This record gives sequence, structure tokens and C-alpha cells, in this order.
Amino acid sequence: MSEPGPQAGLTAPGAAPRPPARLELLVRSEDGESFETREIASPAAYLQLRPQRLPDDQWELAQLPSGVPGTKKYVLKSRRAENYLQLDEEERFLWQQMDGRVSMQDIAVAYVMRYGSFDFEKIPQLIRKLLLADLLTLRPMSRLRDILARNRRNPAARAMEAGLHAIERLNVSSRRWNDLFERIHRWGGWLLFTPAAVIGLIVLTAFGTRALVNLWNDLGAISSALGHHAIVAIIALKLAFFLTVALHQLVHALACVHYGRRVKEVGFIVHHLVVPTFYADVTDLFMASRRARVVNALAGPTVHLVLGMLGVIWANALGPGLLQACVAASAVLQLQSFIVCIYPFSFLEMDGYHVLEDAVGMPRLSQESSQFMRGTFLKRIAVGRFRRQEVVYLAYFTLSLLSVMAFVGLNAWLILSAKHA
Amino acid sequence: MAKSADLSFLREISLLKDLEEPQLVALWPRLRERRLRKSEVLFREGDPGEEMFFIRTGTILVSKVVSGRVEQILSRLQAGDVFGEMSVFGDEPIRTATIQAENEASLLSLDRKSINEFIEANPKDAARLFQQLVVVLIRRLVQSSQLVSEVTRWGLEATGLDAERKSGGPSR
Repeated sequence: MSEPGPQAGLTAPGAAPRPPARLELLVRSEDGESFETREIASPAAYLQLRPQRLPDDQWELAQLPSGVPGTKKYVLKSRRAENYLQLDEEERFLWQQMDGRVSMQDIAVAYVMRYGSFDFEKIPQLIRKLLLADLLTLRPMSRLRDILARNRRNPAARAMEAGLHAIERLNVSSRRWNDLFERIHRWGGWLLFTPAAVIGLIVLTAFGTRALVNLWNDLGAISSALGHHAIVAIIALKLAFFLTVALHQLVHALACVHYGRRVKEVGFIVHHLVVPTFYADVTDLFMASRRARVVNALAGPTVHLVLGMLGVIWANALGPGLLQACVAASAVLQLQSFIVCIYPFSFLEMDGYHVLEDAVGMPRLSQESSQFMRGTFLKRIAVGRFRRQEVVYLAYFTLSLLSVMAFVGLNAWLILSAKHA
Repeated sequence: MAKSADLSFLREISLLKDLEEPQLVALWPRLRERRLRKSEVLFREGDPGEEMFFIRTGTILVSKVVSGRVEQILSRLQAGDVFGEMSVFGDEPIRTATIQAENEASLLSLDRKSINEFIEANPKDAARLFQQLVVVLIRRLVQSSQLVSEVTRWGLEATGLDAERKSGGPSR
């Protein structure tokens, strides 16, 4: 998202706008032997604020009868301060996001996904109203970091905080790649988004499927070769997969420029503080059509489908041995990645999940489903009645749980088959 | 300092620029050279200290602790700048900020005893030195005021607080 934060500079009337204020900090290493300097612009800090509404037992929300057909009005009451606020439908949606875990930036993204456009005034205006009514506080950092900071005397917490800091420092990014992606798109990247490319993909998938069926008959030989060279195979597979993630992001970036939007940033990050990966910030696509967002979501995973199909065709053409085993295993990994990326029910917020979010108009479906199952689900069972939104939560959670179990089971079966072979 | 006086450098130092050549030459042997590696801390906030420093080469960061390992950078000093004078001329010989080298740096130090001896021996030049010290301190005061103003603006912008409203609250 572009920065929906405060005005760039608080200026006197008629004066030229000042650039955003910047704070320069010096952060020492754990051993105190070195340091790094960090410059933090005020809009960046604003985007990281996490509005935290009152605890659930301290507020009430009720729908008001509306005189205008098609419009909904709500009244929000603070039980603590006995204040009342009138909210419209969009403000009610924003209020639901303000649970202290979601940053301003994420709220803005959720708003765009829900309503298809963004009003830069809306969120700060609502926050002003909520703060005045004592319904909201602003949390400046993640809950985990908050807890770790409060427990610095505990060596384990200190070590974990240092670990998180070290992992965060691994992030490398650049905002200067958009021109390169535009050039790649101009020099032929646009061909990926033509009907000819779709036809090519269908033909490739057909040949690949046939090769996959042939390879299935040699499963024992392939598993055996992998088992005999397990370490080499694992390293080769990991490396090959890591490189294809970069290709996946490149295609996302090409899809973004194909629809006339900017790639705001590309980089390398340790995703969820665990998985090292490349990324391309294509959030500018929120300003494009839903079709553009769907095409973008499908374009990245298609890389894995193409590589997977090429891999099985190649493996099928090779004779038995380590090379065939590595190529075949790599191809299967690519096809699995394609499914993981495209399949929305897995608790992972991958490409397919974003299409689903967009389709049902529930931008925090995964988190809200988990919250519902942890909190309200048992109460609803007791009552025996579910709201429509809750049916979606339940369906998503159940399908995701079953899918994860099936995925783990399938992989366990594959490993056991390889071991026995 | 064993080497001959580096007068061209001493004249670049704002605090000493009004001194005559004989006084600069007389001051030179009292200066002690100190080299800092990149990231090396010269002294920390709260440390005792009775020396002031002139930067010959490199960049020096002046910082104050905000919380834990995070410090706010108050200023970035370059060749010709002076720091540490508050511990020498102030009431208490205590460092009020942490000093570290952003990159490799070379400094010249002058301790309280040497300064007092210089002042006693050269009262006329001491007046010039103090006049320049006032200029340096005024510049520091202006920089501090600007920093306070900028940090306040940062706080208002980062929290979306609209200070023009009577009841406060985020802006826009």
C-alpha cells in the first residue's frame, strides 16, 4: 500500500509541504561491540501502529434501523465510558480489524480488498472518533516483541529477542527494480499473458501428465536412487527449489507491470521468521481490477506447474540413475508447490488463498476463522445456530484442517514408500 | 605531540580560530592524539571525563540512550568539530552523551589541566577562546532546539495526532 499515514509534514497554512520527519537511531549489537544506524520516517512508523479496541466485554455493537434502503448504520457503545458512536458499514468493518494485532497498513489493505477502493481519510477519521470515545488505544509494536521486551531479565527471552533481531536484519530489499521489470515485460514478458501462453500451458500439462504416468511405473527405481544419495538429493532439491521461488516472484512482478501498476519493492526475507524466500511487493495491484489480482495470483504458481511438467518430461526421457531421480523429485516438489500455492485451504496465506479472500470479500479469513474456532465456536454449537459469516469460517477451518492432514499423510506415505524401496 | 604543529588543522577548529600562531604552537604539545576504529566507543553517557576533543579526520556520532540497546543520534560531527567541552568547563566532569566513531577517526584531546594552564598563561587569548566557546555553545543550543522540534513533529506525524484540535486525536 502507498502510505495512508499522516500528512507529510505538519505545515503552516500556505507554507510549502515539509518532507516527513525522520528519526535517526543507533542500535547496538547484543555484545555492544558494534552498532548500526537506522533512519525511521514518520509515515513508516504510523503504518506500523496497531489500533487496539477495548476488550470484547467492554463494548457493544448493534445495527440501527435505516431509513435509506441499502444502507446500514450501527451504534457502538463503550460500556466503560458509556459513550455511543454511530458507524456506517465501512467503519464497522474497520472497527472489526482493530484487534491490536493488525497494523494500519494491513487494515488499509483489508479495506481495499473488501471495498475495491481506498479513502485515505477514512481510517484516521475513525481512529480520531474512537480515541475521543475512549474505545481505542494504539499499540506501537508486535505483541511478541512487547512480551519479550517486558521480560528482558529472562535470558531465554533476551536470546529470542536477539534471534528475532538477527533474522530481521537478513531482510534485503530494493525499490529500484520496477524499471527492469517494465523492460523485461516490453522485451517479451508480455507473451506470458496471452491466449497463446495459456494454450502452450495446456499442451505442456497434457504431455507432462502422460510422462508422469510413465514415471509412476518407475517409482521404485527413482525412490531407490534417491535413498542411496539422500544428502546430495536433498541439497540439489532445496537449491533448485530456492531458485524457482525467485522465478515465481519475477512472474508476479511481470503480472503487476502488465496491468500498469508498479512493483514497489523486491527483496529477500525470512518469511514468518522461519522460511527464507524472495518477495515482490505487488500491492499496487489493489488499485487494479479484480481480474488483474486473480491473474497475478495465478501467474506465480504457474511457474511451478511449468517447471514441474518440464521436469517430469525430462525425467521420463532420462535413464534410471541419480540424475533421473533428482529431476523427478524436483519436478514432484514443483508440482506440490503449485498445488500448495494454488490451493486456498491450508491456513497458509498463499496465492490461492488471496483469490479466495477476494472472492468471499473477507480479507482476514484465515485469522478470523482461527479466532472463531478458539472463541465463539463452542457457544454457537450450544445454541445450534450459525451466522452466514461463521459458516464460512467453519467451512474454511474444516477444509484447511483436513487438507493439512491429507498433505502430511501423503508425504509420510511417500517417505515410507521410498524407505521400503 | 612529537611532530611539528599542524597549524592549518588547528585554524580549522572553530574554537581555536582566533588564536595567534604562537599560542597555537604553544598549545600543540598539550594535545594528545587518539585514534578510533570504526564503531569504537570513545566514552559513554555517565562516564567520568576531563578532556575535550577535536576531530582531525572521520565522522563521530553523538548519541543518548533511549531504551535498551537503542539510542537516539543527537548529531554527527566532522573534521574540525569539537566535543567533550561540557565535561571540561561544566560543573561536573561527567559525560552527557555517548561518543562513537561512525568510521575510522583521528582525534586530538586536551585535558582540563592543560586548558587551565593555557588560560593562566594566556589570559588575552583565553578571552578569544571563550568567545568562540560561546559561539559553539549557541550553535549547539540551536541544533538541540531544532532536534526537539523535529522529534516532536515526528511524534505527531507517527501517531497521527492532530495537535491543532482542542481535544487532540489523530489528524485527518
